[in-house]
This record gives sequence, structure tokens and C-alpha cells, in this order.
Amino acid sequence: MATVSEPLIWEIVRNNNAFLVKQFGNGNAKVQFSKEKNNLYNIHSFKYSGLANKKTISIQPGGKDLSVVLATSKKKQQNKPASVSHRSLLKKEFNKMAKAVTNQVNPLKVQVSDNYYRPDLTKAALARLSAVHRSLKVAKSGPKKRNRQRQPLPKAI
Amino acid sequence: MAASKPITRPLVSIQALDGDMATDSDAASLPLPDVLRATIRPDVVRFVHDNLSRNKRQPYAVSRRAGHQTSAESWGTGRAVSRIPRVPGGGTHRAGQGAFGNMCRGGRMFGPTKIWRRWHRRVNINQRRYAVVSALAASAVPSLVLARGHRIESVPEIPLVLSDSVESIEKTSSAIKILKQVGAYADAEKAKDSLGIRPGKGKMRNRRYISRKGPLIVYGTEGSKIVKAFRNLPGVDVAHVDRLNVLKLAPGGHLGRFIVWTKSAFEKLDKVFGTFETPSELKKGYVLPRPKMTNADLGRIINSDEVQSVVKPINKDVRRRTLKKNPLKNLATMLKLNPYAKTAKRMALLAEKQRVKAKQEKLDKKRSSLTKEEAAKVKAAGRAWYKTMISDSDYTEFENFSKWLGATQ
Repeated sequence: MATVSEPLIWEIVRNNNAFLVKQFGNGNAKVQFSKEKNNLYNIHSFKYSGLANKKTISIQPGGKDLSVVLATSKKKQQNKPASVSHRSLLKKEFNKMAKAVTNQVNPLKVQVSDNYYRPDLTKAALARLSAVHRSLKVAKSGPKKRNRQRQPLPKAI
Repeated sequence: MAASKPITRPLVSIQALDGDMATDSDAASLPLPDVLRATIRPDVVRFVHDNLSRNKRQPYAVSRRAGHQTSAESWGTGRAVSRIPRVPGGGTHRAGQGAFGNMCRGGRMFGPTKIWRRWHRRVNINQRRYAVVSALAASAVPSLVLARGHRIESVPEIPLVLSDSVESIEKTSSAIKILKQVGAYADAEKAKDSLGIRPGKGKMRNRRYISRKGPLIVYGTEGSKIVKAFRNLPGVDVAHVDRLNVLKLAPGGHLGRFIVWTKSAFEKLDKVFGTFETPSELKKGYVLPRPKMTNADLGRIINSDEVQSVVKPINKDVRRRTLKKNPLKNLATMLKLNPYAKTAKRMALLAEKQRVKAKQEKLDKKRSSLTKEEAAKVKAAGRAWYKTMISDSDYTEFENFSKWLGATQ
């Protein structure tokens, strides 16, 4: 495909794009966020951008229980949006999920491998995994808590 | 980006549709036209879009006579009112009111708009073509199409090329079916659901509703029924390859419209825009703009052996500035400057001690203590003196004093 280089895409996309959120402060106080799915920190920057990078990682809730979907993009399928990502559903306990994520993102850390996927995103991926996992846990235990706190209705005076 | 010499062109597969004949004699893929590998220049597209979008404007102005349809004249000075022209006559509230001025009620506006404003803009033809080519190239990059906000997650391939059977459809229902088949309906749906009310005054100026743009269908056969099939879908635009318009290709000046090509249109692209080697057949003497850099991957360039072998090594040692210290106050600094200072100071201290000691001895010698007889003598002399003083104070001639003092009556 017409391979456009990553820095060039970033230059085109950095000032304005559909995912960019600019709403806090100006100048130095400004933080720019991004709504891309495959942006681990949701931060608008070249490193984390899901648009400008060919290799991206996305960690999303899997929809069932505490499961998490880990998706990495395939470098050679860039022009095929429907099949660009390699998805795997993780539903084991947290330690095993973390290991699976590290294995995908930075295989060198776990085993001897020739695959350098995105070692620079290891920390971000694990952070995202734990954040997603925590949110799911809260969602799971939320209703229970409410049940426990429910009080009998006060009697009419 | 594209290299300058001919390289093997990547192939784009043609999406077959359900109704297609199984015995399709055509190839299942086409080489990528050079237009889609041309330079992407958002600045050119924005400029050209900005100027061309003005060409649809219609002149407007306030009435030429507005605010001047009165015979008002100034009252001049001396009437304790401002010298603005005032409406003559009486018997109505209007009489005596200010007129003409932009600050007056019923006056003319400031700088009344005229119909002979410069409404339209001419843009150089090469720039217009550059913008179109740029927008087309951007539409072949999935990231840029996504960044424009199009829903292309379920599209099998970008650029999306459909087989020619699309051009023969006549009904919108079958158009929807085809879009669903190739995963492009999500984008059309998004455009349909996006209908909202415009913020601001445009609401009262016949521009009440706004909505997003969906896919752009590009067809290649003149007079095809595909136009009628797709034109009623909100947000979906239809265009012929020969008449691609930057306003459609980059709405709002934003690159990366989602384009759905028919096969005949896609094949015709090389003819319409030419390639990097051969000029266009339809646009006289037009050759595609070449990228300035063959490789725009900055990280690759920086990390290449050629660059890394000539760059200076990283300067790693940190140099800290030292605080200047006054050697006259700080001994350590002084010793650093003058090693003899230590001996000099010690000698000075010793000499001082010696001097003090000598003086003390000298004084002690002078203050030799008295012997016993001498001390007794001194004491006796003191006592004798006291006695005479007491006896002298009893002198009678001084009784007047005691009288004054009231000691005796």
C-alpha cells in the first residue's frame, strides 16, 4: 500500500483529528487527550498515538466478567481495517493476564525472542491492564455493596 | 512515500459483491494508481478548499438607501444638543430624533455592505489539481480516514474498490445492501444519525440543520444509474472520476474522506491524473507532484548507519558550575591559591602569643608586691589620715552650718 511514514501521519494528525480532546486550560496548563481505542494512556502524543503508529496495542474490557481483550495491530495489514488487529481474549486471573500482556508487548522480558513489538509501551500496557481490571472489579462488586446498604423504608408517622 | 524510480506497485483487491457472476473474467486486483501515492499536503488542501468554498456564495447587502430616507439636517450649535442631523417637523415622535449616523436609531449601518464585495476567488489550476491529488492520496491512508472521523473499522480494505456491478444498481435499497456488504454502511449510518441543529445565527438563515459526511461514491461510467441509487442517502455523496472536486474530497478542508470506488473509476485514475512518469491524458501537461523526501520516516533516517556514523557522540559528562569563594574569608580556598599562607598564618599566631607573653611578664615585674612592713606602714598612714579628718570635722566655727541645717535650735 501507499505506505506513508509514521512521522508524516503524526504531523498531519497532531493539530486536529476526530479523536483529539482539548478542553483543559491553555498554554502550559494544557493537556491533550485522545479517544483512540488503541491509545494506552489516552494521551495525545506520537508515542501513544494509535493513528500514527503501525504497531499499536489496545486493552479493552472483554464484556464478560473480568475478561479483557488484548489487541495488537498487524504491521502488514495496515490497509485492511477489518483485519488489522490481532485480538485475544484474556480471562484468567490477573497475574496470568499480566504475563500474557508482557509477552505480547515486550516478549524479551519473558523469554528469549526475536520479536521486538513495542518494548517502550510495556509499562503503559500493564498500567492500562490493571486500570481496566480494577474498573471491572468495581463494576462487579458495585451492586452487592448497594444491596448491603439498603435500609428498610421508614414507617409513616 | 513513493520512490522516484518505478517500483512494483502494490495491488488493491476488488471486493466482489453477492450478485456477481462467478465467471468474472477480470482480475481480482488492480495495481494502485500513482495518484494515491502522491504527496499529501494538508496546507495546500486547506488553502484551496478555503478559496474554492467561497465560489458558491451569493452577494448580499443592505439596501442602498437604508437609513438615508429622511431629509434630516443638523440643528447646528447653540441648541444644547449634539450636532447630528435631526429629522425635521413636529407632531410625531420621529421629529427631532437623530438620523443617518451609525450610532442613531433608524440610522444607516457602519460601512454598509455592498454587493460588489469580492465574493469569489480564483485559484491557480496547478494548485487546484495539487489539492485534489493530495486529498485522494490521503483517502488511501486508513489512519487519515479514521482521523477524519469516518467509521471504517469493518471495511475490508482501504482504498475500497467495488466490482463494476455496483454501477448498474438503480435502487437505494440495493445501495444500502451493498454498503452493508462491504462494511461501509456504518459510516453512512453515522452521517444519518448525526443530524443536529446548527449553533448560532445560521439557524435563522436557512442553514438550520447540520450533519456529518458519509462515504463518497466515485463511479466511472457516464450516465450510470448509481447516482440515483446513492443520492438519497444522507451524508453520502456521488461523484464521477473525471469531475473530482476538492470540496467533496476534503470537506471542511480536512483530509481523508472515505471513498468507495467502482472498478472502472479506479482503473481510470491513472488516465485522469497521470502517473509519476507519464503526464495525464485528460489534464494537458499535468504530472503528479513528487514528494520532496523519498523516505519521510524520520526515525529511520536518524537511526540509519549513514547518519549515526557521522554524528558526534553524546556528551555525557555533566559539568557543574562552582561557586566562587573569597580567599580572604575562606581559608581552604586561600591555601589552594597560596600554600605558604598556612605557615605564614601559624607564624603570625605564634609571634602574637610570644608578644602577649612578654608584655605580661614585663608588667608583672613592674607590679612587684609589697613587703609586710611596707604594707603595715601604708595601713597606718591611712588610719592616721582618717583620724585627723574626724577630728577636723568637729571644728566649732562651723556651728552656723548646723544651725541652718536645723540640727540645733
